[in-house]
Amino acid sequence: MERLITNYYETASIILFGIGFMTLLIHNNLIKKIIGMNIMDTSIFLFFIAKGYISAKEAPIIRAPYMGVEGYINPVPTALMLTGIVVAVSVTAFALALTIKIYEKYGTIELNEILEKGGD
Amino acid sequence: MAAAANFPLLIILILFLSSFMMPVLKRVKAVKWLSLSSILLCVVLSVLTLAYVQQNGAFLYKVGHFEAPWGNELKIGYLEAIMSIMFTSIAALITWASFFSADYEIKEKNIMLYYTLCGMLLASLLGILYSNDIFNCFVFIELSSIAACGIVVVKDKKENIKAGVKYLILSSLGSGLVLMGIAFLYSITGNLNIGFIHQELVKVKDLYHNTLIISLGLFTVGLGVKSAMFPVHIWLPDAHTYAPSSSSALLSSLVLKAYILLYIKIIYRVFGIEIVKTLPILEIVLVMGAVGMIFGSILALLQKDLKRMIAYSSVAQIGYIFFGIGLGNILGLMAAIFHIISHALTKSALFLIAGNIIERIHSKEISRLKGIGIEMPITLGVFVVCALSMVGIPLFAGFNSKWNFALAIIDSNRILFIAVLVASSLLNALYYLPIIINAYFGEENTKDRVYMSKEKSLGALLPILILAFAIIYLGISSNGIIDLIAKSVSNL
Repeated sequence: MERLITNYYETASIILFGIGFMTLLIHNNLIKKIIGMNIMDTSIFLFFIAKGYISAKEAPIIRAPYMGVEGYINPVPTALMLTGIVVAVSVTAFALALTIKIYEKYGTIELNEILEKGGD
Repeated sequence: MAAAANFPLLIILILFLSSFMMPVLKRVKAVKWLSLSSILLCVVLSVLTLAYVQQNGAFLYKVGHFEAPWGNELKIGYLEAIMSIMFTSIAALITWASFFSADYEIKEKNIMLYYTLCGMLLASLLGILYSNDIFNCFVFIELSSIAACGIVVVKDKKENIKAGVKYLILSSLGSGLVLMGIAFLYSITGNLNIGFIHQELVKVKDLYHNTLIISLGLFTVGLGVKSAMFPVHIWLPDAHTYAPSSSSALLSSLVLKAYILLYIKIIYRVFGIEIVKTLPILEIVLVMGAVGMIFGSILALLQKDLKRMIAYSSVAQIGYIFFGIGLGNILGLMAAIFHIISHALTKSALFLIAGNIIERIHSKEISRLKGIGIEMPITLGVFVVCALSMVGIPLFAGFNSKWNFALAIIDSNRILFIAVLVASSLLNALYYLPIIINAYFGEENTKDRVYMSKEKSLGALLPILILAFAIIYLGISSNGIIDLIAKSVSNL
């Protein structure tokens, strides 16, 4: 329990990951599924960025007095997550576009109704 | 030949550049030829890369000349060189075949986008294959899953969109899990370069036993979803059935394989087989593979739709590959890699044949295939070659891969699994052979059928004929390829 509280960033991100994962899996509504996917991705961003943070250090932007390598937090996870955000945004956009198409073709975005209607 | 070290990066760049040029071109014909010629150029470059690797051994390529932990690296060994030849040449054959089927299956305004997506897909798959940086692999995974969904929905029919959404949701679930796995690895090693992660893991493996289990488990499930490992294969039948047949061929023969190759890289390069053997994951992969071999075949047996049957057969064949990886010995890995090649040849030919047949008889039902052997003798001849290879008859590639699997099973002292292998082969025979028998024999089946009446032109048949020759060649003399695979496995 104590370990969970000390590492509260990781705990929070794993809980969020679980919420997102289950939303993605068990909801029938496509929009809710996409929201779940986003929560899942965001939790991973939180996890990664928490890993790069070192307490009482500055953001890795060098201003007048350069404080040496020791003075700043690890910038790599932040940079990686910028890429991660771009990827997540494009997947979300694609998924939403497909949802619009689904609504045009089937008149609903509930996955269970679509599976009933679209039986081949 | 020192310039050959640049070829892998060049291949990725050529494919991306040519595919982004396609939407600008006005004429469909120009797009088709640009697509084919860029892929053919990549075949040539891949062959030269293999020659370079044979001379100089495996090499690391620094992108932009930055040293390793800061810059990105490509690692090209025998495995990557062989696989990139296979990927590019099969993609070239499928592209050639799609020249003749795309007009029938895809709306004209979407054809250009289709070739753009194919180029992007191939480039990102090769990126997954070459990259020595695990986060780079993740970016390429996402790119390839968007492109792969794209070539499923490009037909713009009701069922395609449904299958595409299903595929996109499950594959983004899979990439989420992979990213989480990378996060755990990064948190205990502080590196993203595969070689450096491995060095650090060897030092800290005793401290973080549970983290390693979680991380490898996340990779297994994540890449398992994407490559249709048995219990999480549910997206595959829909996506393969409704997609245009050339897309199904690409998906089944190349896309699934790239994720499996990444999984092999993760087991053997990132973790190292010694560390993986202390974790319980490989046993699970072995059992899932074996269950997939049986249930994939049983599900295929129950299908009435030709493409859906071939899709379920893919699930069974992916089971074989995971089974080989799960055995955890060198022979098992070699058998898995050989099966990756033989299955890619066979399955791409089968999907292209299914496309030809469906185009001519306007039906997907297996029951409508009676007497088709008289009307389309060449197409069905290749189908017979593929089916016999799938069943594992000697002289065809499938026999060699099953032989290697059997050797690997004996080597790992798990003799009981031979029964699974034999049972799965018999099940394969049960669903492929009735189609062949009904196509050629039976009085009421062959009555009133005109010889060659529905056959496609020779140009359209060329790709499947080449694939059939490749299958027979691999069946008759597999020693050269096996030697190369042995070299690649020993240098992993």
